[in-house]
Amino acid sequence: MALLGVTAAVGSAARAGPAQDYALHCMGCHGANAQGVPGKVPPLAHSLVRFMNNAAGRRYVLRVPGAANSMLSDAQLAAVLNWVVTQFDADELGATTPRFGEQEVAANRHTPMAGVLATRAAVLREIAAVGPAPATGY
Amino acid sequence: MQRLDRLFESSARSLAQRSSRRSFIGVLGRILTGSLLVPLLPIDRIHRAEAASGPEGSPGAAEKAPAAAKGKSASKAYTEDQESCDYWKYCAIDGFLCSCCGGSSHTCPPGTQQSVVSWIGTCHNPADGRDYIVSYNDCCGKASCGNCDCYRNERERPLYRLSRNNDVNWCMANTGSDYHCTVSVILGSAGP
Repeated sequence: MALLGVTAAVGSAARAGPAQDYALHCMGCHGANAQGVPGKVPPLAHSLVRFMNNAAGRRYVLRVPGAANSMLSDAQLAAVLNWVVTQFDADELGATTPRFGEQEVAANRHTPMAGVLATRAAVLREIAAVGPAPATGY
Repeated sequence: MQRLDRLFESSARSLAQRSSRRSFIGVLGRILTGSLLVPLLPIDRIHRAEAASGPEGSPGAAEKAPAAAKGKSASKAYTEDQESCDYWKYCAIDGFLCSCCGGSSHTCPPGTQQSVVSWIGTCHNPADGRDYIVSYNDCCGKASCGNCDCYRNERERPLYRLSRNNDVNWCMANTGSDYHCTVSVILGSAGP
């Protein structure tokens, strides 16, 4: 049944663009509904939008290995991230949430992040201080 | 003219005083040895070969890729046999076919669990001329099946392109991480 859900989700987005880029470059680990794998792969649903509303969170998202080292171009990566929040975080996505742009991606993704876990923990603390935080435990 | 002679003579003598033939031979040896090692560096030759033959996922790109880049099963023979490594939707598979292990091409054998993470790529179906998005999930929780070893890995990239490399046990995120076999699940058609 879950498999049918996956087939339908991608089948309906059967053309080149961020939905297909998500399927080919992100979905294998983050899942068809961006739900992640508990304790193993962080979810994007209900998390990515919370990073996007914070300056340090935006930099973190663009520098995590999966995003920074993906084979997507800067413009494609920006489009995929914007597509994910529209698709899976519509209820939390405010009109004031700044979307990612190609230049912002280019300016951040090439700066390596040495301590991913420590950086994530610090960013989560900062976000939690002012509102709901992204998923913990990763 | 004499001044020029003196200049060359002094620089030649200076060079001879500062260096020896033995050290020159040593340096030359190091350069030659180093040059021989360059081809052994992990350079992405597969991608370069495919770039020359067509864009990733483009119809016909897989067919045009050189046989050397396609691994053991480089056959272009069309088959409907889902227990054959040449079956079209196995184009990027690396493992034992579940259709030979008690399951089917897209369902895990009884007693195994489908991996929660997977490798996703595209395959070209020569029957209808379209490209499809395919998820290669491993079936986990039992020892290796050992039947129908299939290694195609078309459009795979070297290990330093981790997200495009298939030398991974996709059972790693499952409770039982033993690898048994691999299924190919079609997720939808791929756009141009």
